[in-house]
Amino acid sequence: MNVCSKCGNPHVIIKKKSSGQILCRECFIETTESKVLHDIRKYKLVEKGDKVLLGLSGGKDSVMLLEILNSLKERHVIDLVAVTIDEGISGYREDGVRIAKLNTEKLGVKHRIVSFKDYFGFTLDDVMKKTSDQPHSRHPCTYCGVFRRWFLNRVAKEEGATKIATGHNLNDETESILMNYLEGNIQNLTRIGPKSESRNERFTVKIKPLREIPEKEIGLYVVAKGLEVHFAGCPYAGESFRAEIGSFINDLTAKHPTIMYSTLRGFDKMKPVLKKEFAEESHTGICENCGEPASGRLCKACSFVERWDEDKV
Amino acid sequence: MVVTVIKGENKKKLDINGNKTVKDLLELLDVPSETVVVKKNDFIVIDEEQVQDGDTLEIIQVIYGG
Ligand SMILES: [Zn+2]
Ligand SMILES: [Zn+2]
Repeated sequence: MNVCSKCGNPHVIIKKKSSGQILCRECFIETTESKVLHDIRKYKLVEKGDKVLLGLSGGKDSVMLLEILNSLKERHVIDLVAVTIDEGISGYREDGVRIAKLNTEKLGVKHRIVSFKDYFGFTLDDVMKKTSDQPHSRHPCTYCGVFRRWFLNRVAKEEGATKIATGHNLNDETESILMNYLEGNIQNLTRIGPKSESRNERFTVKIKPLREIPEKEIGLYVVAKGLEVHFAGCPYAGESFRAEIGSFINDLTAKHPTIMYSTLRGFDKMKPVLKKEFAEESHTGICENCGEPASGRLCKACSFVERWDEDKV
Repeated sequence: MVVTVIKGENKKKLDINGNKTVKDLLELLDVPSETVVVKKNDFIVIDEEQVQDGDTLEIIQVIYGG
């Protein structure tokens, strides 16, 4: 007979293979929230008086993070504003935007919706339709990543935010470590962690409070709490090296339940050494078009836009 | 025994035999258990929960590939 390890309740909702812990609904929610708040303190992800900009897609990770950051807002530790970036992916993003709005309204958190279309004049769908046959066309995730980073930095500045929070979870982080290691991208490895440490003041510090929570537990948390969440896969995702690594990690985890934790722990121990040997401060200049950090004349976002203009996309 | 299975917009009755757990049922339906949360009669349950005649099982996909 399974009963909750904490309170003895026989209605259990999780049996953690990694720790042997068995928890009921209430104790699981409690334990998960305190784990995240503990990590926020441990890694000093926020300080009293911070204004945090949360990237809120409406998916499970960012909706869970909204709940937890809002508890810090209610205790007057931080100020909070959420931003949803509308890339313009028809049939997919609309629901995410609607659900993000619903959640922020419920909690009374300021919410901004910014779109590729409004800032740059095109949607991701437009770009993919018009460039997919071009020789230098890239995977949509590449564009999406570049523009999303641009928006988060830009909106953080507009809002006077001191931190940018994203919902990256333990699976995402373990994937990034393995991917970059296997591909030999040591530069990228030096940038993985709970908190970005750029010395460039034009970059707002980025934090990942859910970095030690497995994706499955985030899914369980939002269902257990009865939160409104956008459960759907992006139509542009699919075959990618990250997805391959993701399923490899899932297969390993089935047999070795602590593997993601040990990968992360081991990496975090090596990181100071990697940083010392390999970290370079990139992006020293500013983009002559938009004023965001750039390694050359233009930032990555503006150089994509310039190329599409030349190609009459 | 007959159980009702709800997954997304789909709702169907399933005739299964013998003692089955949620895990067995997911395998039967070819649903990877690490991607879903299962509710039995409106309560979240773990994989080893026994399924009984007349139960309603809701399968909520929480992880989407790629
Ligand atoms: Zn309990
Ligand atoms: Zn620029």
